[in-house]
Amino acid sequence: MTKSEINEKLTAVFRDIFDNPKLEITSQTTANDVEGWDSIMHVNLIVAVETAFDVRFTTKDVKGLDTVGDLMDLIAKRVK
Amino acid sequence: MHRNDRTPLNYTALVKKARKIEPPAGIQHKIALLADVSTQHLVPLLRVLFADAGVEAETYEAGFDTVEAEALNSGSGLYKFAPHTIVVLQGTMKLKGSFYHATGKRSTFVPEHAASIESVWSAIRAHSQAVIVQSTFAMPYERPFGNFGRLMEDDLVSKVAEINREICLRARKHRSVLINDIEFLSSWVGRRYFFDEKLWGMAKTLCALEFLPDVAQNIVDITLAASGCAIKCAILDLDNTLWGGVVGDDGLDGIGLGDLDEDGAFRSFQLYLRELAARGIILAVCSKNNEAVAREVFQKHPAMILKEEHIAVFMINWEDKATNIRRIRETLNIGFDAMVFLDDNPFERNLVRQLIPDIIVPELPEDPALYVRTISELNLFETAAHSALDANRSALYQDQQKREVESKNFGTLEGYLKSLDTKANVQRFADAALPRITQLIQRSNQFNLTTRRYSEAECQVMMEDREQYFPFTISVRDRFGDFGLINVVVLRRSPAETVLEIETFLMSCRVLQRGVEQLAMNRIFEFAGQGGFKEVVGHYIPTAKNGMVKAFYEQFGFRQTGMEADGTTHWRMATDEYRTRQVFIDSSGE
Repeated sequence: MTKSEINEKLTAVFRDIFDNPKLEITSQTTANDVEGWDSIMHVNLIVAVETAFDVRFTTKDVKGLDTVGDLMDLIAKRVK
Repeated sequence: MHRNDRTPLNYTALVKKARKIEPPAGIQHKIALLADVSTQHLVPLLRVLFADAGVEAETYEAGFDTVEAEALNSGSGLYKFAPHTIVVLQGTMKLKGSFYHATGKRSTFVPEHAASIESVWSAIRAHSQAVIVQSTFAMPYERPFGNFGRLMEDDLVSKVAEINREICLRARKHRSVLINDIEFLSSWVGRRYFFDEKLWGMAKTLCALEFLPDVAQNIVDITLAASGCAIKCAILDLDNTLWGGVVGDDGLDGIGLGDLDEDGAFRSFQLYLRELAARGIILAVCSKNNEAVAREVFQKHPAMILKEEHIAVFMINWEDKATNIRRIRETLNIGFDAMVFLDDNPFERNLVRQLIPDIIVPELPEDPALYVRTISELNLFETAAHSALDANRSALYQDQQKREVESKNFGTLEGYLKSLDTKANVQRFADAALPRITQLIQRSNQFNLTTRRYSEAECQVMMEDREQYFPFTISVRDRFGDFGLINVVVLRRSPAETVLEIETFLMSCRVLQRGVEQLAMNRIFEFAGQGGFKEVVGHYIPTAKNGMVKAFYEQFGFRQTGMEADGTTHWRMATDEYRTRQVFIDSSGE
């Protein structure tokens, strides 16, 4: 998967999970920038990303994710 | 309220829906969660699934892993919240850790843990009459001894199974402790999918998010059952539902009912239905057939599991099924929303769904071998009370039909009532009768003056408080059969000491106009007189279903003293003004 494909698909996941069809994300986006992105939603997001990309993150993978860019790198690393 | 099919509940969709809940007008329910797993992801699902069922749920989450602390502390947030239901949810991950750490103490592990769980119920019961919903543990998948572990004393899997068993055994001895069977749920989806180790590490969730909706639905089903919503009747089609083929075309010998293949599937289905009947679900038949031809199958086919005696009502003719189902409803006198209609034919299912929106019509699969599975998945027959009276309710309706035939032989109602030789037993609430009392309280909708739903624990409190409460029941039998316990009255000493308040007056609709209500009222005023009460007061709280008792107090000569905006009426009568009613019931032999 190319970076741009990951970006496109991840944007769709974010829009679905946060129920906001206009939501835009960049690699610098953090939880503070998105309304409703609390610790509960964070778990929902991780699970949704795994389902959408058909990947399984490790316990270590999901620690220390600060930005959406970190998440995109992780997806690129794990996706087949 | 119930869903017609089991399309899997989607976690993400429900989370979105939870953000936009419009609180439904009407029933409010306060539900508290005590857990040693996190409950944050479960709560929005509970709220949305309750809302789907027409209930506005207000939730309280105790702090993470504070089960005992909250239960044992009389001043805790739990008790301040005053919940109707308390869910106790313990997870296998923590239990497993405790087991591994308990080296040298494995032999006492099960009794200690079971006792600890039981002590939470006792602590709760000391401060609250809420219904307690105790969860069982999902079975772990790790086997330090492999299969051999089943033969070992000191084996994790065996110990968890034992704790689950202990939970269920001990719950039977407590009032109003119900079971949230997570063990069932987790084994249904498979342990390998149920547990999510990463999520446990991240957020201490009970299970993978995708199964939380099922956990929530389970809790909702149990809570609703404990509040009186129950399916009472299954209406059955015949051809290709109870047997293979069409009896009108294939004849008695040609229908498919036996041991192998599809024939065997129909027999298995009948076995399941017979079991439902034994458990108290009324069976009715609604079929487009020649009645004699169809009945002959029940009477003569050697492979039939269901016989005529299992069926309360037969509606076999060529009219449309909606009309017939309406007749069945009238005969049984229960709501459409307490009925399930099972028919292999999608045309009939859709017709009935459209014409009778309240009745539950599950989609049935093409393969009859999957009928039982499909119906079981819907969990339609959840209940919170079961009494001896439940065994084969269909027989009770058949006794009734005999009475009706007999009544046609009598010129006057009086003559008929006298001939029935009715006997009644009037008794204060008794321990052994509490399950049946609770069941009636939870299920009576029509002949119910105030529709107060007490839990079994609350009934026990009223039974034991001889200063404040005078709760009694009436059980009735006649020469055709035994109705059992069919009337519940709760009288309370009003704060104005000379006033006796009728807090609850309800009756099963199967004994109308026989004198039971008059007998009960006679007893109420007898008691008022003996107890030095100058006045008796009562109330009528209207609901969608109890219109039939709107003028109940008026009929006995009470004076209406007030009416509220919602239609609630208040009534009063001086004790010495009451005129004892004549009843053709012998209540002397108590």
